[in-house]
Amino acid sequence: MAVRLFSKLKALPSVPATYASAAAAPATLSDFDLQHKTPVIRKQKLIPVAQYGGRHAVSMLPGGGIGPECMGYVRDIFKYIGAPVDFEVVDIDPTIDNDDDVQYAITTIKRNGVGLKGNIETKSEAAYVTSRNVALRNELDMYAYVMNCKSFPGVQTRHKDIDVVIIRQNTEGEYAMLEHESVHGVIESMKVVTASNSERVARFAFEFARRNGRKKVTTVHKANIMKISDGLFLETSRRLAKEYPEIEHNDMIIDNCCMQLVAKPHQFDVMLMTNLYGSIVSNVVCGLIGGAGLLSGRNYGDHYAVFEPGTRNTGTAIAGKNIANPIAMINASIDMLEHLGHHFHADMIRRAVDKTVNVDRIVTPDVGGTASSTDVVQSIMGNIGLDH
Amino acid sequence: MSLISRNVFRALVQGSQHVGKGVHTSAVNPEKNVCLAPHSISTLQSQVSKEGRIKCTLIPGDGVGPELVYAVQEVFKAASIPVDFESFFFSEVNPTLSAPLEDVVNSISRNKICIKGILATPDFSHTGELQTLNMKLRNALDLYANVVHVKSLPNVKSRHNNVDCIIIREQTEGEYSALEHESVPGVVECLKIITAQKSERIAKFAFDYAVKMGRKKVTAVHKANIMKLGDGLFLRSCEGMAKLYPRIQFEKMIVDNCTMQMVANPNQFDVMVTPNLYGNIVDNLASGLVGGAGVVAGASYSAECAVFEQGARHIFSGAVGKNIANPTAMLLCSANLLSHVNLHAYSKMIKNAINKVFQDGKIRTKDLGGQCTTKDFTNAVIHFLDHEV
Repeated sequence: MAVRLFSKLKALPSVPATYASAAAAPATLSDFDLQHKTPVIRKQKLIPVAQYGGRHAVSMLPGGGIGPECMGYVRDIFKYIGAPVDFEVVDIDPTIDNDDDVQYAITTIKRNGVGLKGNIETKSEAAYVTSRNVALRNELDMYAYVMNCKSFPGVQTRHKDIDVVIIRQNTEGEYAMLEHESVHGVIESMKVVTASNSERVARFAFEFARRNGRKKVTTVHKANIMKISDGLFLETSRRLAKEYPEIEHNDMIIDNCCMQLVAKPHQFDVMLMTNLYGSIVSNVVCGLIGGAGLLSGRNYGDHYAVFEPGTRNTGTAIAGKNIANPIAMINASIDMLEHLGHHFHADMIRRAVDKTVNVDRIVTPDVGGTASSTDVVQSIMGNIGLDH
Repeated sequence: MSLISRNVFRALVQGSQHVGKGVHTSAVNPEKNVCLAPHSISTLQSQVSKEGRIKCTLIPGDGVGPELVYAVQEVFKAASIPVDFESFFFSEVNPTLSAPLEDVVNSISRNKICIKGILATPDFSHTGELQTLNMKLRNALDLYANVVHVKSLPNVKSRHNNVDCIIIREQTEGEYSALEHESVPGVVECLKIITAQKSERIAKFAFDYAVKMGRKKVTAVHKANIMKLGDGLFLRSCEGMAKLYPRIQFEKMIVDNCTMQMVANPNQFDVMVTPNLYGNIVDNLASGLVGGAGVVAGASYSAECAVFEQGARHIFSGAVGKNIANPTAMLLCSANLLSHVNLHAYSKMIKNAINKVFQDGKIRTKDLGGQCTTKDFTNAVIHFLDHEV
């Protein structure tokens, strides 16, 4: 879908010419220009997809905290159902100060096209070591983050039947990582909003809504204060909304949006927002639905897709205690199978997860159950194939 | 008296065994986490039929092909492997009996897996057709990557031990493009086509295969010193792709040197990636090092399907009907096929059985210096099938 979107974008005059790769760009552009002034130029050269004889190769980045154990469960389940996926595992050592491992991980995703990741720790506090999660998203130019937030009937929460999709700009905004101390004691942190990236993500949101039969898109912003930056984002989404007359469009200020979410979450359908607001809103919704351990998120770029648990927490405190909720990672793996076109296997796992959580109610303590992680996984594997 | 008591005792023991079995099954079933037999669901989606059996296209081929394929079917039957074959007689030398290409292509693209004997290819074209049936099949399915895993077998005498290399060959372009013409009488031009897209694709396949198999090194085989543009493009594509794989060593070797190194010191090679014709030559050369065409398995891959066939393609027409051909290669192919569709247990079972036959050393076909028949060998493999694996 993202690739198809990209082809449409190329026709738009506002987007500067795209080069086959960063290396092919004119020599006049310095690395700094490439990095900070021309965000759209970082288009990647197309690399053949790693699909051979019906099997896909996928990069697996277990990350830190509960990542490795959850990945273990995913591999168990994939092995059990015989999903046609071969994992290439890349471990990243969080304590090392250089970026070699991260660069290698990014390279593997570039050549495989698809990744499944836990949350990667960045322990180093040195200023020159950037957050590895952010680096990964920026380097792969994954501009859209999608989180399907759907209530699990089997999990006790204040609100029932929430069904919201959060679409978040993933590569710029407050996460531009441009901070400096101009005068001693005065630090400026830049928030970058570009028309091209706003347009890409807005188009993504409307296309998503159209393809998935959604009725409404809500743009979340703070344009009353940040009139130019958030104003641009808002204007872009309003402009694009005119191209999708069948989809209702409204906008909401972020503070009001948070209040509405906890009070009346059912009014929302698809929500479109910039980077930091997306981070906040997705965590709020996760909290409404039952915590960090249930939902999965998807990062899309023009060529690459990376799937991960919805809230980006490592869960270091509960690592190795066999109480981590494996559902989020399993949901991410289902998303991945769907993306690769293996609907048969994806449905098989989804039905089993549904039965385990909503019918058998075998869940971990974080969502009010008493089962251990392995109990949940055992139950899911037991439920697989029962409805055939 | 003793006879009667023995019989009574036997009956009692057997009875108790039956009871034990019954208790065992009924005790396990109610638990939710009883494993379904893995084969009932563990497959690529499209080949699965209702009962969880897998469908596989089967092309017996020419020469000894049908005999070898029969050996595979015997072994599958003995091991009760849940695979159903959809058989097609497909032949270039017997065009009247051959199934149409479309039928075979449809069947393979539906089943996604195929096991194939060798197709004979006549030396001269009588019809003016330049493409062989093999090439047509590959082009129709876009089976661009041929993988031959050359590995020394236990207890088989050859000049080199512990040969273990994987040869990956581009097989849809290059010298096999079937573009030949006689511009002036007595002057024939044959076009060798190399494209960046296909070179990159095969290079990526080779590196991805190396990653999947945990290999350390990829060697590109070329003749770019003479064919500077054509092979040069292939080599550059490989070099470009190698940058994406910083943890795999990349080296290049000219094809003539490569063949010499192969017979002198084959252990230096790990994964090799080659254009079409060089791959064909190196495949056969390497197969000769470990025991010949009868013991080396291969496979061809497209994005969607996989066709499993012998590594060195010889029809061995001299042995037709004599029951002396070596079925090892075909059996290894079938084992690879099973592991491709996630039936790892069965795959291991067949591979272990073949290894045991070789380690046992009593059953040898003629090509490895023995006196046994194809049938003997197949039966020996069946004998060693260990259902407990």
